Amino acid sequence: MANKCSMLLVRASNCVHNYIHRETLTNPSFISCYQQKRGRRRTCKPPSWFVRRSPTTWDKDLTPENKEFLHGLVEDECKVPVCSPLRDEPWPRGEWTRSTRRTGVLAIKLSTIPQWTKDGRKVYTTLLQVLDNHVIRYTPPEDFRKTAGWKPYWGQKFGSVVVGALSCDPRKFSKEYNHLFMESGVPPKRKLTRFIVTPDAAIEPGTPLTAMHFRVGDYVDCQAKTIGHGFQGVVKRWGMKGMPASHGVTKSHRKMGGTGGGGDKGGIWKGKKMPGHMGMDWSILKGLKIVRVNTKFNILYVVSTSVPGPTNCYVRVYDTVLPNRIRATKEPPPMPTCYPEDISDELPEELFHEDLFRFTEPSISYAEEES
Amino acid sequence: MQHTTGMTTLLHNFSSLVMQTGPRQTFCTSGAMMEIRKLARMKIVDNSRIGREAAVAGRPPRVIHVYKKNSVGYLGDKIMVTVRGQKKRAYIVGCKQFQAPNVPKFDSNNIVLIEDNGQPTGTRIKVPVPSVLRKKKDGEFTKLLSLATRFKGPLWTSE
Amino acid sequence: MATARTFCLKCSLHLFKKGPNVGSIGTNVFMRQSNTLSPRLVDVHRHSKLLDENQTQDKADEILEVPRDFRFVHPEFMPPSLWYRRDKLTEYLERRDMYRRRSVMEIPEFYVGSIMAVTLADEYSPKKNSRFVGICIERRESGLRANFRLRNVVNGQGVEILYEMYNPLLQKIEVLKLEKRLDDQLLYLRDAPYEYSTFSFDLAPVPLPKASSVPVNTLKVKLNPRPWLQRWERAGLQGVEEFEVSEKQRIKAEKATTPWEKYDLMKKYRSGINEYDRGDIIQEFYKQTELNKPKTLKKKPLKQV
Repeated sequence: MANKCSMLLVRASNCVHNYIHRETLTNPSFISCYQQKRGRRRTCKPPSWFVRRSPTTWDKDLTPENKEFLHGLVEDECKVPVCSPLRDEPWPRGEWTRSTRRTGVLAIKLSTIPQWTKDGRKVYTTLLQVLDNHVIRYTPPEDFRKTAGWKPYWGQKFGSVVVGALSCDPRKFSKEYNHLFMESGVPPKRKLTRFIVTPDAAIEPGTPLTAMHFRVGDYVDCQAKTIGHGFQGVVKRWGMKGMPASHGVTKSHRKMGGTGGGGDKGGIWKGKKMPGHMGMDWSILKGLKIVRVNTKFNILYVVSTSVPGPTNCYVRVYDTVLPNRIRATKEPPPMPTCYPEDISDELPEELFHEDLFRFTEPSISYAEEES
Repeated sequence: MQHTTGMTTLLHNFSSLVMQTGPRQTFCTSGAMMEIRKLARMKIVDNSRIGREAAVAGRPPRVIHVYKKNSVGYLGDKIMVTVRGQKKRAYIVGCKQFQAPNVPKFDSNNIVLIEDNGQPTGTRIKVPVPSVLRKKKDGEFTKLLSLATRFKGPLWTSE
Repeated sequence: MATARTFCLKCSLHLFKKGPNVGSIGTNVFMRQSNTLSPRLVDVHRHSKLLDENQTQDKADEILEVPRDFRFVHPEFMPPSLWYRRDKLTEYLERRDMYRRRSVMEIPEFYVGSIMAVTLADEYSPKKNSRFVGICIERRESGLRANFRLRNVVNGQGVEILYEMYNPLLQKIEVLKLEKRLDDQLLYLRDAPYEYSTFSFDLAPVPLPKASSVPVNTLKVKLNPRPWLQRWERAGLQGVEEFEVSEKQRIKAEKATTPWEKYDLMKKYRSGINEYDRGDIIQEFYKQTELNKPKTLKKKPLKQV
């Protein structure tokens, strides 16, 4: 079945048909030990074990008829995958415990709008859209430990789930990149990310993830890359004061002062705040409450004004790791995710938290005192 | 001619400083945020004798302490002021700086003096007081608010 | 002549320094968002044929004829113009919330200079709500953040309150006297005698004659002597009587003017919403607010502004 899918994708990507064994691609176990990645902290260069994304060849000699045929093929065949693993028997579902870590979703940050609670308090909510998310791969703990991206401090009890967002035309990508989606039977995705999960939250590849993965009232963590500012001085980067504008100060109005003392402990200590690259760095905001969910457009309304990153950036959204918030969850969340068959009734378009004011309700008024 | 007009305006302003009893002052030394910090000038809005004397003399009270950790006074905070050479405690009942939505903002920084035992010095508050102050459940404060009995919109007055 | 020459020099310098900078704001922002998608790409993916379910918005089928200056009647429906912060889906969802609120509580047409009364749920007053009357001196923000500021003088004390238009604590918004002033902001009333901003709480609504346009009040306000809260000589006020300006202040005010900005077409384009988006939004909210209005709320025909 996987063979069939790979044939299709390879044909669609107009590459020379060259079958590569599935095991080699999905489990890069030929790298048997932990690989350290050294160099600059913020680098655009992907790790060495990532496959190349961009294609080396392109169809310059294709006739218009062939182009049209390929276009139709992509739309028809990729939308309804012939060989999706979901058609086989579903995987058994685990039970949620407090130590369970479910997978997250890869959302897009939209913008911030105010909402009001039922006691008249204003809360600013950030909108996160879960657009076209699918599970691409699940790796159990014993295999995950052997992969290249594994970090020793994760321990040995976690597996991993790769989630992709935004389906694309396979001709956009290289053959190797397209092969990554063989197992799940979904079109190649624009963005991939990996979540650490416990084995009881294993998800079958090809499963779609929606905003219903979370419930209203849940707490989530948002991880994203902050807005980049380029190379900045100490005044902007660390908020140092600089020096006066006049009174004999020359050429050091925005410079830092001393860098350290002399003597035994002299020299510049590690971690001294200095000029350098600012922003474009991973940042996590923890314990954000979901107060409203739009099920039609798959939008989460999260109470926060400061989800990292600019508008339309990718945000990793997953269950919070804060122990008090986990303890506060009374009902277990959908495990491993919310499947379409779990929803028995017709789903309303919008789900609200019980404390949130709905704009269709009459205005808030206080009961008059009797005296 | 232009210089002389400027000079006359200055003189006019200076004379108005001495005579003025209202909220306007000629020189503004506080910051652009109009925060109530130490040495900010306030306006006594109760009918106490000392407040009236200070207004007639054109020497408005100055904040010498804010009973808070961050030393910035907001609506309903307790401060210490110096009036006519005396130290007096007072409550802020109106702020000039930017306020949250639905909270009144006034044209002057208003205070009401209290004695050491917590009793208000005056018997009447001459200007309106925002109703949000009733949120504060302080013993001294409720005594002070009992001076304003009539309400007009979101404001409470004595008249 | 000398002043004219300096202006020209300043103008060219300014264009050299700031002119291209205005253009490069967008590109800089775009360049530094390398972990993001462009707004257009997000739209492409939302309507992609590879999606399981096509997420399409409800589009207006028939095109209605909207009065020419309808967008000035409810300016809060126009989204903020920063293109790199805009998202059409969010704006649509935000507008939908606004229509819902408007179907419950009427938010009338008003302008800066109109005299209004706002009733607010107030926990700390005996009747549990409070009604404040005042002149609208400022109107800001768009979407659900839209707000306005009322000013009045109560017992010889100037009072200002900021109200959020879509705050559910608001019970009622009345326009007692619908009119405009010569300026976009009346913040200078803080530096004017109290008689210009004193209004009775018992003011009866002043009805407008039928099918008449909104009148413009050409009242000229006499400002107090200095000091002021702002340097009003630099604001180019229309509704203010002439005041004394010293030579130094006049020169500084002249230097602070930016007469070339009215020729900056790109700036004008960037400070507003483009025509296509604007047309769609106007169509949508004209339908929602005017035609779908319940009969109890419908009272007067739409006026030409």
